[in-house]
Amino acid sequence: MKKKSKTGFFLARILIILSGVIGTILIAIYPFDNRNIKITFVTPEERQTVSLSNDVIAAGQFGTFTFNDMEEFTLKKILVYGKWESILLKEFNFGEIAPYVSSVDGGTMNLAEDAIVFSGDGRISFTMTPSFIEVIKDLSATIIQERLILIGIAMAMTAMAIIFCNALQEKYIAENRDNHGPIYEIKRFCIDMRKYWQYIIFSARADLKAEVADSYLNRLWWLLEPFFNMLVYVIVFGQVMGRSVENYATFVFSALLMWNFFNKTIAYSVKLIRSNKDIVTKVYIPKFVILFSNMILNLLKLLFSMVVLIVMLAVFRIHIGVNLFWFFPAYLVMIMLAFGAGMIFLHFGVYVDDLSYAIGILLNMLMFLSGIFYDVMTTLPEPLNGLMLCLNPVAGLIDTMRQALLYNTAANLPILGMWFLISSILCYIGIHIVYKNENSYVKVV
Amino acid sequence: MGDIALEVNHVSIDYRNLMHMSLHQGLLKGEAKRADIVRAVNDISFTVEKGKILGIVGRNGSGKTTLLRSIAGIFQPDEGYIDTKGNRVSLMAIGIGFNASNTGRENILKSGMLLGCKLNYVKEHMDEIIEFSELGDFIDRPVRTYSSGMYSKLSFAVTAILETDIMLVDEVLSVGDEHFRKKSYAKMEELMLSNRTVLIVSHATDTLKKFCDNILWINDGKFIRLGETEEVLQEYEDFMSL
Repeated sequence: MKKKSKTGFFLARILIILSGVIGTILIAIYPFDNRNIKITFVTPEERQTVSLSNDVIAAGQFGTFTFNDMEEFTLKKILVYGKWESILLKEFNFGEIAPYVSSVDGGTMNLAEDAIVFSGDGRISFTMTPSFIEVIKDLSATIIQERLILIGIAMAMTAMAIIFCNALQEKYIAENRDNHGPIYEIKRFCIDMRKYWQYIIFSARADLKAEVADSYLNRLWWLLEPFFNMLVYVIVFGQVMGRSVENYATFVFSALLMWNFFNKTIAYSVKLIRSNKDIVTKVYIPKFVILFSNMILNLLKLLFSMVVLIVMLAVFRIHIGVNLFWFFPAYLVMIMLAFGAGMIFLHFGVYVDDLSYAIGILLNMLMFLSGIFYDVMTTLPEPLNGLMLCLNPVAGLIDTMRQALLYNTAANLPILGMWFLISSILCYIGIHIVYKNENSYVKVV
Repeated sequence: MGDIALEVNHVSIDYRNLMHMSLHQGLLKGEAKRADIVRAVNDISFTVEKGKILGIVGRNGSGKTTLLRSIAGIFQPDEGYIDTKGNRVSLMAIGIGFNASNTGRENILKSGMLLGCKLNYVKEHMDEIIEFSELGDFIDRPVRTYSSGMYSKLSFAVTAILETDIMLVDEVLSVGDEHFRKKSYAKMEELMLSNRTVLIVSHATDTLKKFCDNILWINDGKFIRLGETEEVLQEYEDFMSL
């Protein structure tokens, strides 16, 4: 009987993996329709959106845009969104739009300092050139981003199904209870969390205090450090980037805060066991407690930097809207990602001496790939920008966070969803391998 | 026969000689070195009654510290089991989780919480700890300004005052100046009278003779003898002087 159910679970697991693989391949090759496209015209006051179905796009019958009841139409930029409204495909700013406009029906077009101004009497209508139609057709033709996100979700679901299968097996077959099943470990994680919560908070606060205990400027450093960092980047990269991004200082600073949090957590986790040798060899402490405490420390510092950010938002008069809400899920997923990845690096950092160097280099590369100093979507060349946003979680999350904060846009929700799933699985895997191997950490260090 | 406070049953602990490796080694050799297994503790069983004090002797590298760490729960034994009957166990060690930039007071709280006490419990005993540590005004200065003696005194005070049901002592009694050492001995005697279970690892036979009810002698990770203090120590000394 027992043997039967064991083979049953084995078969179930194979079935799950198979269906995962088949699902992935299907998504990769299934002939989805071309994208429907939404073209959004951004004016200083409002946004006008025109939806185009893929049939219309294929036929090329959409060159003329008409806006009624309007004397003057100030166009700042055109945003092109894909099948999911939150996936931004392309951004034309006003300078790029002008050459595409072939004729204005019964009105005039003037190039102002930071916008194109169309004027007419009550009705504004303009026609785009065939080359604009070609660009939109190209944008509609592939749905590689959507495919990638679906594949990511499919793989995450497969992993979850396997974890679920393990949990069932743990529950129904007693002999499999080796204290490393998902149910036991998650329960243990919760118990440990409750037990050590006081310590986590206290230790984070004590460490925070220790960092500035005797420095002359004391707590002011928490504000000064990110501020001057930002200043350096703005001066250096502001020159390189020219003035292609408005409010460049806020643009860089908001991304830099998120990046610093991720960077510090990962860099610390690789060396965690070694640098906490004193604690680890003398008492039993769940290792995630130390990592978590460090993350709280970084979050507290982040909160101080947020003060600078809020001041900057006010100084540069950036409009904040309801979509600011997406700022918080983006940070939540970032915290989960940092924790999950941190736990996994923590494990390997114990055994591999020079991992911290390798991770340092990788983090450095990641920093420049993640669009902190530039906008990934508009700066990178065509297929690469979408891929980068989908496959590099830091780039995707920074973009989502920044879109919500600075442009009041709910950007890239599918990416956020995908990385939420993947991060939760990473968290589980991290907790699992650390619980399973923490015994030997003390012996190695 | 009193209640049994601690049961160690056929415990074996391995040290895999995996140790550190660099990326280079790791990529080339994989985990091929896994084969080197050193058995630090080999099939040891004993029980300790509640309120008794057990001394553990053995030459260097015979697995005493490993055994204590395992009893403290820092790592699980590879074979056999350790049953602490629900008692709280703590390993007396110097400066657990101390951060040199924090004040003595903050470090007491941190260390206490690492020993498994609640924040409020540590706060209640704060005055007692400070008094025992004889640090006076230094308690509110950063620990890095302490002399090494003061550092040890503080950390001993934390573990001595925040008592747990079973205390594991690993050669920490020779701390501080003569005065403090006497005080530590007095504290140990108090612990002995207060019906607490204590395991002491030491090379100082005088200390062991003074405190212990029983002595466990291990050599190369193997159990040699467990018995009355005088007898076992005599045999141990004879063996060592060979």
